[in-house]
Amino acid sequence: MRLLRVISKRGDERLHWNEQDALAGDAEAMAALREAERIFARERARGATAYRVEAGKPVERLEQFDPQASQMILVPRVAGG
Amino acid sequence: METLAFIVIGIIADISLILLVNFIVKSYPKWSGADRRAAELLRAVLTYEQYCQLKRRGYIDIPSSRDQERAYRVPHVPGLVRVIEKGRQTASLCLQPLERVPDADIVVMHKLMIEGDEETYRQTANLIAPQCGGDWDD
Repeated sequence: MRLLRVISKRGDERLHWNEQDALAGDAEAMAALREAERIFARERARGATAYRVEAGKPVERLEQFDPQASQMILVPRVAGG
Repeated sequence: METLAFIVIGIIADISLILLVNFIVKSYPKWSGADRRAAELLRAVLTYEQYCQLKRRGYIDIPSSRDQERAYRVPHVPGLVRVIEKGRQTASLCLQPLERVPDADIVVMHKLMIEGDEETYRQTANLIAPQCGGDWDD
């Protein structure tokens, strides 16, 4: 299972999808994957920054949606205080 | 007469118990769904050592990937992030999300930004030079 988390005032909102099922053409998995891509693009357009966070690996900033990442976290726009 | 006394005592005891339970429920801090999810994310993102440090000391030290002698001390509540170099505070950084998020999510944000893109993190944050030498008082 792949996971997209979007940090917001409601805590992180989560969207799961099964990469294998999506690759195999499963309609539900493909719809979830498309929804994850749509949310990713929407939040990036709002100024959010995306990070790939995987166990045992360094955190990596992402410029584009990565369907292979086991977990992506979108951080809302920040500014110096 | 004795039976009546038992009944009255019983009623008083019941009322007292109801009032006590009501008081406990109302005074117990409310933990919203957002805070609960943020706490879960924080636990999932931090290493075991960082999580223990946060619980024990109220902050986490995130080592710099660019300078072995630098670390960022992120408090568990919103506030300044302290830059620690060679064991001494050399500056503070102020950076905040433009939308309100749970406190635990702010810790997650600092961690991801520092570990994922330290240079942009430093460029975005407001740097505040320490006053009076700026030693970290633990």
